[in-house]
Amino acid sequence: MKVRVRLFGTLGERFPGYRPTQGVEVEIPDRATVKDLLTHLGIPESQRPTVIVEGRILKADDRMQDGVPVSIMQTISGG
Amino acid sequence: MKLIRVNMSDKTIRVEDVPQEYAGLGGRGLTSIMVNAEVPPRCDPLGPENKLIFAPGFLSGTTLPNTSRLSIGAKSPLTGGIKESNVGGTMAAALGRLGITAIVVEGQAAEGELFALRIDDRGKASLIPAQEYNGMRTYKVVEEVLEAYGETTSVVCIGPAGEYRLAIASIQCSDMDGHASRAAGRGGLGAVMGAKGLKAIIVDRRGKSADPVADPEAFKEAVKAVVKIVKADHMSAEVMPKLGTAALVAPVNSMGAFPSYNARKGTLDGWEEICGERMAEMIKERGGNPTHRGCDQCAIHCSNVFVDKDGNYVTSALEYETIWAMGGMTGIADLDTIARLDNLCDDIGIDTMSTGVAVAVAMDAGYRAFGDGKAAIEMVEEIGQGTEFGRILGSGPAAVGRHFNHDRVPVVKGQSVAAYDPRAMLGLGVTFATSPMGADHTAGNLVGAYLEQMLDPLNPEGQVETSRFLQIAMAAFDTMGQCFMANVALLSPESLAAFGKVVEAKLGIQLEPEEFPFGLGTRVLKAEREFNRKAGFTQEDDRLPKFYYEEPLPPHNTVFVISNEELDGVFDF
Repeated sequence: MKVRVRLFGTLGERFPGYRPTQGVEVEIPDRATVKDLLTHLGIPESQRPTVIVEGRILKADDRMQDGVPVSIMQTISGG
Repeated sequence: MKLIRVNMSDKTIRVEDVPQEYAGLGGRGLTSIMVNAEVPPRCDPLGPENKLIFAPGFLSGTTLPNTSRLSIGAKSPLTGGIKESNVGGTMAAALGRLGITAIVVEGQAAEGELFALRIDDRGKASLIPAQEYNGMRTYKVVEEVLEAYGETTSVVCIGPAGEYRLAIASIQCSDMDGHASRAAGRGGLGAVMGAKGLKAIIVDRRGKSADPVADPEAFKEAVKAVVKIVKADHMSAEVMPKLGTAALVAPVNSMGAFPSYNARKGTLDGWEEICGERMAEMIKERGGNPTHRGCDQCAIHCSNVFVDKDGNYVTSALEYETIWAMGGMTGIADLDTIARLDNLCDDIGIDTMSTGVAVAVAMDAGYRAFGDGKAAIEMVEEIGQGTEFGRILGSGPAAVGRHFNHDRVPVVKGQSVAAYDPRAMLGLGVTFATSPMGADHTAGNLVGAYLEQMLDPLNPEGQVETSRFLQIAMAAFDTMGQCFMANVALLSPESLAAFGKVVEAKLGIQLEPEEFPFGLGTRVLKAEREFNRKAGFTQEDDRLPKFYYEEPLPPHNTVFVISNEELDGVFDF
């Protein structure tokens, strides 16, 4: 499946030429999980990524959905 | 370890050793425990019985980095309760280096009198007439003081709003570049300073008489361990220097919890234009500084210098809460306008958060349209000019609501909420409702816990317990003078123990595990709650405004669902 991913915090720096207004489109296997997506993008746990879809934070084992846009944030405290 | 008591009524200055009951305290712990002990709870906050206390943290002026928080305490003219508001910049370290535990401003100068308190490099304090600063805005005050006393001077001062004794007046502190850009914004402490007849405190930063550390070797080792933890934290070491606190705009909007259009929606249309990522990009393109050292002793550099299209200085630092109040609440998705408003607030000497919310309430009542940046600037200018409407706005969101007979006023105990909607982040509602300070974003903020997936922001489970833990931890940390940006790297049990060793080495005693943060934090909170109780507060004051319980917030369309009984159990300790 294909999902459009927007990257926030300092995560965009990992992808040369990344444009925040467009995000990146990635192709991942059907039934891929949050963890699979992060592995695919090469974002390590040390970057403390948080995946948000439709206003809700997903857990590592939650499955991605074809065509539903994803935002990946970094955990920070407020602020 | 000395207190400098300044009596504004008879202009006397008394230097005292710190009494035993205040030993080992600094920052918020000292201001709150002292206000509770010395200020009559029912007094007029703008009268001679109130005391305005300036206290560097217990660790300010030591070699521990990130310890430049100055706590300012008094009875608040905004909430009618106890208040501690803390600020970065240069003053905490300056006082720490002089071994000054606190400056206690008492009494009241005669109407029309205006003074500055000057403390030289040997710690000698004197009151000097300051009529020439009458009505002056804060940037100009700092500029003139530095010209007169030299660049190695720290200044805290009020602007015209403080002199007008407006309830959202701030006290501004000079930063490392000599700008009056750091604010003890909350609770109207600038009005208390104005009522005392004190325009500024001017302190030499070259003091060499800091309090001794009891065990210097152990202190050095303990500091190293804390520095290592903070440096390894991705937020303190990477996100804050690159984006600053504005990094929160994206996640909080994405979670539908960014109060927008006076808290009618949880997402601002066009938030991508005002997020931290966009701000950093703009600052870099224009030749400003996205990674700025605003505070003495700072190793994190979360500050920034925002410049206009021609590269000219506009403000420092543009922060998350200001971007929200001046952008989200007002519907103004334009960083140039927000930055201008931030600078205006600092210069006039008013809290950006309460001001933005006051403007938003007026817009919600139909006075001007949401999104009208020009109107927002004109409204804030009116505060500086002291017009009749400006004085209503400068009295805070609740006063604006009364003026327009409008009941959608997002305040608790008279103080505006912060940039997290309680309907979409339930635990923030718990903290806003119950903090003795009124609604407050630093008193126990759960947003990090949500992003870490420790709990679900929309599920009531665990919200009260997490708010309680964080309120206690923050009360303890606020006593130490260490910056929030470092504190949040130290919340695990192991990290707290490492930080405890710094405190132990300074004091030269062994702390029991329950003493920090729990023992200290609960001691401070108990004093604050006791003061508020004696001032007339009841459990009914620990509630959110009605609309949070009744009006669903898009996009989640949820309301605040934590019961009154649960709120009343937050401080069961």
